[in-house]
Amino acid sequence: MKKDDLLNKDNLLQQGDTSKKAFTLKRKSGYWLGEFTVMASPCQILLDNLDEAKAYSLTAQAYAEAKRIELKYSRFRDDNIIARLNSSADETISVDEETTRLINLADLCFQLSDGLFDISSGVLGKLWHFKQQTQLPSDAGIKALLPNIGWQKANWNEPLLHLPKDMKIDLGGIGKEYAVDKVARLLQQQTDNAFLVNFGGDIYVNKSRCNGDAWQVAIENPQHLGESKLMVSLVQGGLASSGNSQRYIEVDGQRYSHILNPKTGYPITGGPAQVTVYAQNCVQAGMLATIALLQGEFAEDFLKAQDCRYWLSN
Amino acid sequence: MQLKGKTFTNISITLAAASCALAAPVTAQPSELGSWDVDAGLLIYAESDHQVQAYEGALSLTKQIDDERSINLKGIIDVLTGASPNGAVAQNKAQTFTRPSGNGSYITAASDTPLDDTFHDTRVALSTQYQQQLSRLWLYSGGAYLSKEYDYLALSINSALARDFNKRNTTASLGFAYAYDTIDPEGSIPNPGVSVDDPNNRLTDSDTKQTLDLLFGLTQVIDRQTLMQLNYSISDVNGYQTDPFKILSVVDSNGWANNYVYENRPDQRTKQSLFWRTKYNIQPSGQVLDVSYRYFWDDWGIASHTIDSKWRVQLSNQHFIEPHLRYYCQQAANFYRVYLDKGQPIPEYMTADYRLGELQTYTIGLKYGFPIAGNEFSVRLEYYLTQVSGDDGLAKGDGMAGLDIYPDKSAIMIQSFYRF
Repeated sequence: MKKDDLLNKDNLLQQGDTSKKAFTLKRKSGYWLGEFTVMASPCQILLDNLDEAKAYSLTAQAYAEAKRIELKYSRFRDDNIIARLNSSADETISVDEETTRLINLADLCFQLSDGLFDISSGVLGKLWHFKQQTQLPSDAGIKALLPNIGWQKANWNEPLLHLPKDMKIDLGGIGKEYAVDKVARLLQQQTDNAFLVNFGGDIYVNKSRCNGDAWQVAIENPQHLGESKLMVSLVQGGLASSGNSQRYIEVDGQRYSHILNPKTGYPITGGPAQVTVYAQNCVQAGMLATIALLQGEFAEDFLKAQDCRYWLSN
Repeated sequence: MQLKGKTFTNISITLAAASCALAAPVTAQPSELGSWDVDAGLLIYAESDHQVQAYEGALSLTKQIDDERSINLKGIIDVLTGASPNGAVAQNKAQTFTRPSGNGSYITAASDTPLDDTFHDTRVALSTQYQQQLSRLWLYSGGAYLSKEYDYLALSINSALARDFNKRNTTASLGFAYAYDTIDPEGSIPNPGVSVDDPNNRLTDSDTKQTLDLLFGLTQVIDRQTLMQLNYSISDVNGYQTDPFKILSVVDSNGWANNYVYENRPDQRTKQSLFWRTKYNIQPSGQVLDVSYRYFWDDWGIASHTIDSKWRVQLSNQHFIEPHLRYYCQQAANFYRVYLDKGQPIPEYMTADYRLGELQTYTIGLKYGFPIAGNEFSVRLEYYLTQVSGDDGLAKGDGMAGLDIYPDKSAIMIQSFYRF
């Protein structure tokens, strides 16, 4: 405990910021645990069998990279590329290579999901905020937003993006998974040892621990938060979940999930509450989980066709 | 309520491929903050018949300071050796010339084009260019240049503003440049029209030249594949523009040159040019066709046409080849003379420099590029042929009968670039 405190102090000094600690590093049995909060999620870096200095350095870099991605793609800021695009007022904007790749992926997911995965659907959140919401938004209100939604109306000529006036995009549906893969790539370049990156349940592991064990990860049951439902062994790949029990409303016995259909403006009904997918990397897992959830009652049929491991909770 | 299953296709593989590419390092990060991009180049240029040979090394450093600002620093060193035509005509006898410095002399054999063999110089050039995005639509660029060789100093500054219009599909730019050059030839500035053998043929030690350039540019995105560019430039040059090393033969009625005088060019010159260029990106093969045409004219009577075309073909594994074809033709300056006639008054302005004569130049080249350690390396090989033309009847009398007074010139250039 003392050791942890000392380390934390060290971090503070090195960060040159005593008002808030950027990250902490703790020794666990056989691995180091680096922790910080980015993108409103608890983030963990588990580093197997490394010395403290190296673990410290890797955690610092992981934090910096995650923070960079958050600042660059957060829709809550007014000084980043998302703000520029969303305030572009009928102008064409040239985006950098990293953003180009993310938009290309979003564009691909839009095509592959037949328009269900749509980065322009975020405005629906104004009506479906799910914060102690007990009433459905008005149908007229929803209909009024639909003209501003629909990625097919955007003009994407890589690297030039032209959004129709009043269309807003949000890369939040990809951002966290992307940050996991990006941080994993960063760590992979600097260590041959095993590690696990976990940003709020979106996970990547590079290989088995040095003692030969797989990493054990608990998938939380959205119905019973905090209780571990299922332990999964991961050796290499990405694990991501979509769906969240905390964000839904129940009106007249019907549960409305926070997964919205961009075509109708209404939540998807009848599907599982949460989908977890294990794939080659975290972005792939995340996209599969989200697109599965968008299929509603056909989520499992969709997943069966994808040739991947998955878990559903209802 | 169990509904009948729905059939889905497997999108997992497509997603795997796309998501793997996502986290890969961004290729060739030209804008990575805080680090310098380095471009290095080497050039070897060799003219036929042991005329001019040039070796040049260039190093360019570019730094993206932040999203809005970038700076470039460039250094070039080149070494020139060999001989170049001194302006005198070939003769059916050996000719002896006093060196331009006034020290010593050299002999040209019968029927050979007289070449000044004292051509040897080392040049160092340094330049810097700064670019800043002033606002969303305005871009500023400014720079300075300095080059020094043994007898020549060139200084210049430039500045340009560009603005995007029409949803960024159109860019208009306005630029200016000012240059101040000083020439300090060994043996001083020669007195034009005066014999090279006259002991009193020198004027001042050095002279200067000032150039003001204005450039108007328009770039238009035509469609996803096509980019078009139109430029007009006007340039006003004031000051010493004569080549102090060039002479003219004074030829008698029998074709024999028995005197040589220094050339003279006007102190004032206004040059204008119109430039049109189209870049066409052939999809999906990624081939790029780059075609341009330039029309140039000045108040010395020179007019020229240039057609240039490059075709970049992408091969596998980031290798590419780029064939290059260029055609240039020029009409002579109105004071160009192959030689002067003895007994006639010496004109105020005269030059026998073939570069101001009537000529055509053909260039054929090939560039080949491939990655080395993840960075682009390329080699360019080019062949130039310059055909000088004029009235063959001027090769008159015993002195010049049967001689080629408009010899062709050819050159080979090898250039390599590496970016890291």
